[in-house]
Amino acid sequence: METINKKKVSMKGILKAYGTIFALIVIIIVFAAINPKSFMSIGNFWNITRQMAILSVIAIGATLIMNVEEFDLSLGTIASFGGVCAAVLTITGVPFIIALIIAVIVSAMIGFVNGYIVTRFKVMSFIITLAMSRVIYGITYWMSGGAIIFNGIPESFTTFGTGKIGPIFYLTIFMVVITVIFYYLTKSTAFGRKLYAIGGNEQASKVAGIKVSLYKTLAFTIAAAMAGMAGVLLASRVGSASPTAGDAYCLNAYAAIFIGKTLGKEGVPNVLGTLVGVAIFTVLANGLTILQVPTFVQNILTGGIIVLAVVAQKIGNKKNA
Amino acid sequence: MILETKGLCKQFGNMYALKDIDFSIKEGEIHGLVGENGAGKSTLIKILTGVYHLDKGEIFVEGKKVIITDPAQSRELGINVIHQDRNLIPIFNGVENIYLGLKSETKNLCFVDFKKMKEKIVKVMKEYGIDVPLDKMAKELSSPQKTLFEITRAMMTECKLLILDEPTASLTDKETKILFDIIKKLNEKGTAILYITHRMDEIFQLTNRITVFKNGELVKTVNKNEIDKDGLISLMTDKWTRSKVKEKKSDFGKVIYEVKNIASDNKVVKDVSFKVREREILGIFGLGGSGRTELLEAIYGFEKVSSGEIYLEDKKLEKINTTNSLKNGVVLINEDRRGKSLISTRSVKDNIVLSTIDNYVKKGIYNAKKEKEDAENKVKELKIKTSSINQPTGELSGGNQQKVVFAKALMSNPKIFLCDEPTQAVDVKTREEIHKLLRECADKGSAVVFVTSDLKEMLDVADNILIMAQGRTWELIPNEDITSEQILKYCYLERNLKNGNN
Repeated sequence: METINKKKVSMKGILKAYGTIFALIVIIIVFAAINPKSFMSIGNFWNITRQMAILSVIAIGATLIMNVEEFDLSLGTIASFGGVCAAVLTITGVPFIIALIIAVIVSAMIGFVNGYIVTRFKVMSFIITLAMSRVIYGITYWMSGGAIIFNGIPESFTTFGTGKIGPIFYLTIFMVVITVIFYYLTKSTAFGRKLYAIGGNEQASKVAGIKVSLYKTLAFTIAAAMAGMAGVLLASRVGSASPTAGDAYCLNAYAAIFIGKTLGKEGVPNVLGTLVGVAIFTVLANGLTILQVPTFVQNILTGGIIVLAVVAQKIGNKKNA
Repeated sequence: MILETKGLCKQFGNMYALKDIDFSIKEGEIHGLVGENGAGKSTLIKILTGVYHLDKGEIFVEGKKVIITDPAQSRELGINVIHQDRNLIPIFNGVENIYLGLKSETKNLCFVDFKKMKEKIVKVMKEYGIDVPLDKMAKELSSPQKTLFEITRAMMTECKLLILDEPTASLTDKETKILFDIIKKLNEKGTAILYITHRMDEIFQLTNRITVFKNGELVKTVNKNEIDKDGLISLMTDKWTRSKVKEKKSDFGKVIYEVKNIASDNKVVKDVSFKVREREILGIFGLGGSGRTELLEAIYGFEKVSSGEIYLEDKKLEKINTTNSLKNGVVLINEDRRGKSLISTRSVKDNIVLSTIDNYVKKGIYNAKKEKEDAENKVKELKIKTSSINQPTGELSGGNQQKVVFAKALMSNPKIFLCDEPTQAVDVKTREEIHKLLRECADKGSAVVFVTSDLKEMLDVADNILIMAQGRTWELIPNEDITSEQILKYCYLERNLKNGNN
């Protein structure tokens, strides 16, 4: 029975496996048709890739957590923390690169604490990380004095976020590098394979001798490090650090992962899928802004698309089961 | 007759779980139902309570033919069942739990009238002499109290037949006595009882008539005073012995795996000791609920061990967890194939290499080619039927899925195989192959610990058989000229725990 069904839906299967890419292409075509001049320019292409960079860094990190079937809702506040942390450090005279490294390490430590609590006490990551996000926000608020930091930020702080080689932004290059590293990490290292195994069946993975708690904690740690880094990049791009700047990125990151899950046959969170998900979001925001669609309409559209994507996935899965 | 079945049949695949069952319960009797693991007792209950649907046959309640479609309807007919795993909602109190599935009393149009509900319950409880606090949450109660809750629930509506499925499994002697008094009281007031248990003394103490099931068939219904314990056991099994073909004597090597006084943290395994030698297949046999699965999971490190020691080749194993077990060459073939052994959505290859992922990393580079080769070799070696190594494991047949589990186990070159029902839901051919495979592994010097509920299989496969009951190990019996009947007798033996084990 099952095999017969499989053959029948194979055309559908292709559509399902690459549906997200088709969706991206369709969105691009629509914008291109409406406003070819501004939207389809080379300048705008590079601009979109730069806009993608920060969300993609958070989302790719969070993909690891989704791989082990957990959630980290504190990633947004960790990003805010990272930005404020780096900004405060550079104002006191620390070189940008050192400030970046410190912010990333401290973020990683926060992620480690998240992961440790979740795995040690077998509690829901959802609620633990939500609670931790309050703690982190408090610390960030205290560090920034509750205000947006822009006074005294040296020029060197913004170089990485705004600079470019020829037409290509540093951020774009950075995004590509991160994608390649994480693609390799998840696809062809023992670490990545184990994460996928845990996500597939935690019990079976434990029986197979995989240290489930350790790998889950590592996933939390890496994801938080990436979120902290994204926060620094964000601050560097806009030249200021706000204690709430990164918050909105958390939801968007998970939405991108969910949309990206459909890419590929297995239907699990994967780095390339996440990147496509990020692209869909960014192109939408970019195109709608060019068309001068009011922000509130943009919100309604993006939110609606997330709902549609997740529901479409569920329907697709049901047919496959 | 309060209940009668005629020609009841139930098939799972091409296996008969029940075959032509003509069974009846008289008004006002206590009827015992016995049979070894997999004899079909549970299937019968599930059909009577509407969980399963019968394939063929008829059911009569008080002479009227009925078709039972779901549990609610079975209850309306006056049939109630109390399971060994109690069906109460932990955070609900007595009133709420007892009224689960019953229509609530209401006042002022729509508000639940808890006072009236409580009064009704108290009335029923008084009638049968049941005394349990109603305002406590179910999770605050002891197991006998929970059972009494369920009995009260059954008695809230007109209950013609009460089915009790191993109600005393977790009770102490004193608690059992209280329960028996209540059962007798229910019975005196006209409720027929169908009582299922593995405990022989209870059967003789409580029932009027006893029905014996064997391999899905009804062997006989007898009056209690016409039979004794040994007679009952001999009805439950054919006199199997080891198949002649397999009667090859093995010469065992030295002891390589020894378990001393193991108790599990979940308290199911209480005191287990055994030794396995090289080239030996040690069978562990016990009735349902004796703790076999929990034992294997504990010594493998999947569940926590609370006390006891394990020695591998005379070296004491420290820090028993799954990772260390695999490293030491101990593997576990789980009973729960889909839940704990396989990642059904992932490919055959991914599952085969699951426990050996680390072996493919050299200087940080993952050797995907080697991994593919290994998986393909195992597929060939074990004749796993799959379209390719990339097919999701969940799409394979049960037998082939189990072969994937074995392939995974073999990848880590184990010295000790812990096998829990390795041939469960597996076709006959694969079953033979698995038996052969286990024997081959043993012949190469490994030791196998083999658990199965199928006594015939046990006699065919094991070199020695260890009896397990109530979380403890008892007699060690060499599998020579022993019959299944003798083994069952050991299982049904009344144990005096004060004398310790063995």
